[in-house]
Amino acid sequence: MKRRTFIKRSGLASSVLFVPNFLKAHNELWPVTLGNKKLVIIQLSGGNDGLNTIVPYTNDVYYKNRVSIAQKKQDLLLVDGEVGFHSALSNFKNLFDDGYVTIMNNVGYPNPVRSHFRSTDIWQTASASNEILKTGWVGRYLDGVAKDPVGAIEVDDMLSTLMKGEKINGIATKNARLLYNTTKEPYFAKVLENSKDKHLSEHNLGYLYKTAIDAKSSAGYIFEKTKVYKSSWEYPKNSFGKQLKTVSEFINSGLKTQIYYTSLGGFDTHANQVNSQKKLLGTYSDAIAAFVNDLKNAGTFKDTIILTFSEFGRRVKQNAANGTDHGAANAVFLMGENLKNPGMFNKPSSLLDLDSNGDIKYEIDFRQIYTSLLKKWLHTDTEAIISGNFEPLDLV
Amino acid sequence: MYIKYQMFTGTHNNEKMELQELFHLYKRAGFGISLKKAKEKLSKKREDIIEDLFQSSKKATQLEVPVDEIKDLVKMSSGKISKETRDEIRKLSRQKLLDFNREWIYRMADTNEQLRERMTLFWANHFVVRGRNIVYLQSFNNTLRKHALGNFRDFVVAVAKEASMLNYLNNQQNRKKKPNENFARELMELFTLGEGQYSEKDIKEAARAFTGWRHNFKGDFAFREKIHDFESKAFMGKTGNFDGEDIVDIILEQPQCAYFISKKIYNYFVSHEANEDHIEEMADIFRVNYDISEVMRHVFMSKWFYDKSIMGTKIKSPTDVLVGMMRIVPYKFKKTKELVYVQKLLGQELLNPPNVAGWSGGKKWIDSNTMMVRLKLPSVLLSDGIISFDVKGEFEDSLTEFNKKKNVGRRLDVESDWNFFENEYKKSSHAELASVVLGANLQEEAKSFMDSLEKESKAEYCIQLMSIPEFQLC
Repeated sequence: MKRRTFIKRSGLASSVLFVPNFLKAHNELWPVTLGNKKLVIIQLSGGNDGLNTIVPYTNDVYYKNRVSIAQKKQDLLLVDGEVGFHSALSNFKNLFDDGYVTIMNNVGYPNPVRSHFRSTDIWQTASASNEILKTGWVGRYLDGVAKDPVGAIEVDDMLSTLMKGEKINGIATKNARLLYNTTKEPYFAKVLENSKDKHLSEHNLGYLYKTAIDAKSSAGYIFEKTKVYKSSWEYPKNSFGKQLKTVSEFINSGLKTQIYYTSLGGFDTHANQVNSQKKLLGTYSDAIAAFVNDLKNAGTFKDTIILTFSEFGRRVKQNAANGTDHGAANAVFLMGENLKNPGMFNKPSSLLDLDSNGDIKYEIDFRQIYTSLLKKWLHTDTEAIISGNFEPLDLV
Repeated sequence: MYIKYQMFTGTHNNEKMELQELFHLYKRAGFGISLKKAKEKLSKKREDIIEDLFQSSKKATQLEVPVDEIKDLVKMSSGKISKETRDEIRKLSRQKLLDFNREWIYRMADTNEQLRERMTLFWANHFVVRGRNIVYLQSFNNTLRKHALGNFRDFVVAVAKEASMLNYLNNQQNRKKKPNENFARELMELFTLGEGQYSEKDIKEAARAFTGWRHNFKGDFAFREKIHDFESKAFMGKTGNFDGEDIVDIILEQPQCAYFISKKIYNYFVSHEANEDHIEEMADIFRVNYDISEVMRHVFMSKWFYDKSIMGTKIKSPTDVLVGMMRIVPYKFKKTKELVYVQKLLGQELLNPPNVAGWSGGKKWIDSNTMMVRLKLPSVLLSDGIISFDVKGEFEDSLTEFNKKKNVGRRLDVESDWNFFENEYKKSSHAELASVVLGANLQEEAKSFMDSLEKESKAEYCIQLMSIPEFQLC
């Protein structure tokens, strides 16, 4: 083979691929006990300002601390006598009014960390604040329950800690065809051809081959299974809308994957946050509404729960740059058709009892939410997935 | 000076070294050796080859990117620094950090102080810091370099006084009236003893001893008596008016400390699968006077370091992949951003570790996505190939930046020096080239694969060898 051919032309060498037997039976390997329930996890990355999202418009403390960036009552989408939604959330409000949303206030963990990296780690690994775990809680779900990389998909090109288990990692892809084509390039084909001589053991070389073969097999499975179905639903034309559309296509084409993860970035609003947050919330609200309606239309919303979190909330008191700094506890949204407690799950903070940094104290530990979803939605034991005992909540 | 090693039956004496052992030594203790140089060395005795490694790392050449611009800005604004200046400094610093990252990679690729640079990279994942200030981080990085092969006690104290460390683990906020335990905890848990080897009380007392250890704006260590706790502390069974250095001394008196560090060295340089006998051997040597060079020399002199189960079985870090390729075919990124892009895709952006525990390494480097990138990388970097993956954004990114990511197939602007390669390997056989790229033992593993390749040009052959999973091991 000429160098240029080897390097550049894809597909050519992949006509006859050797796939070891144990990998062919993708579907047979799937544990029969797994149901068809889906969990979609969305991170609002950067730390969404929950106070300007779910606004406590009757609370003077809020207005005193937010002199130039407070959301005025007349602009809000009022929910009850206590809170109103940011004006950009009208589509979200419709979902809320239909009883598809549970809002949990003051969600966090003891001794909150205000670093994006560390707090994201904590949420993704479900660790305590002073504990470093190297696997994500979804990764541990893959290890113990799904036992297959296709058990969880991150709609991105890089795999987050959330999706990494001790033995099994999830798959990251924004574009099934692209992923598939990558695995069809010559060097991948070579790997597979070559692998028949390997004893695919636990040793490192075996692990590398096995990962490459898994990648190929997973990419093939995802692509083949999803290539026909295309959502005709109209989504907002931005990256986030595209990501959710991809998730919807994955779900609606009958992929066995149970957990999906994606994120929307840009929430680190230290300066001039009013406009930027408005855009962000609008992006979130419009895309999530399209997503829910798309699923409803396809009849899959009843089997789907959507969890939206942010690594932390923001400080109650605004800063001098018309923005807010990193805070602690925050609001978390849960969406689904048959929620146990749609509406406001608990009261927003009074803003009178803040921690020493001036941040909202947590009332619900985020691991309680994970525990509830694992136990009651995915019907699995949490012992090997969530360390520590957390009281489940009445959510699903 | 080798006499003391005779007490271990597993230590090599004066015999010669095999070529594959030499490649192994240089990949683990450094970043690789060319075939020519390897052949030159083969005529020497084993202990002399190993001594060469230490001799050529005698000096510690600092790594620096120019930061005068930043220092001038600091100087000019006497007293309080305005917001504009601060923003300007931050922006400059961010760019300089990327430059430093790039220069560090290039340093590893062409230094003769191979062992020192390898140790520096190792310690950077032991004494882990993150930060945004290039002046502080550059100083920290050079402190790692300076002490990399020196005395561990001096090393710990020097690291504890670095601005980057004082900031990252909040010792800057550690005051008598309001102690902050972060540094004290990690000092014991991650830097010296390991989890569960101390009590919560030990942490509290140690934190008191480090009160007042601060740095000034320039980044120099400055002890602030006023906020230091001069009262008596009870730490690990001893009582006295201890300061930070006393705490380090007491920690080093614990036999566990030498064991913990030896285990970490073993894990990084030898194998992820711990061999307790070998680690105890190392710890016995290290404990005598905490001389890092001595324990490293023991590792490289040991027979077990060259065992079949050790050579060619370690998963390369992304940095090893990038630098290892550079040592065979030198290449440079025309845009620093693209280097960082590649590092991110591979999961290791230098100077930007995931958390205080650093990168876990080993199998943790590998998932489907990083594996695809690794296999694709040689053609992308050395042969104008296309890559279509996006990296995750930064937390600070705006929505506009978030929306930019579009999976566009891109070519990276990389300049590779194939002349160097041709010169170096024009007289070598294909098999010899394979032994350089893969290591001799992996060459055997990949034999059937290599037979299937057409050996048209050496350059092509080299890229193909780099594109198989065996290349990911060293």
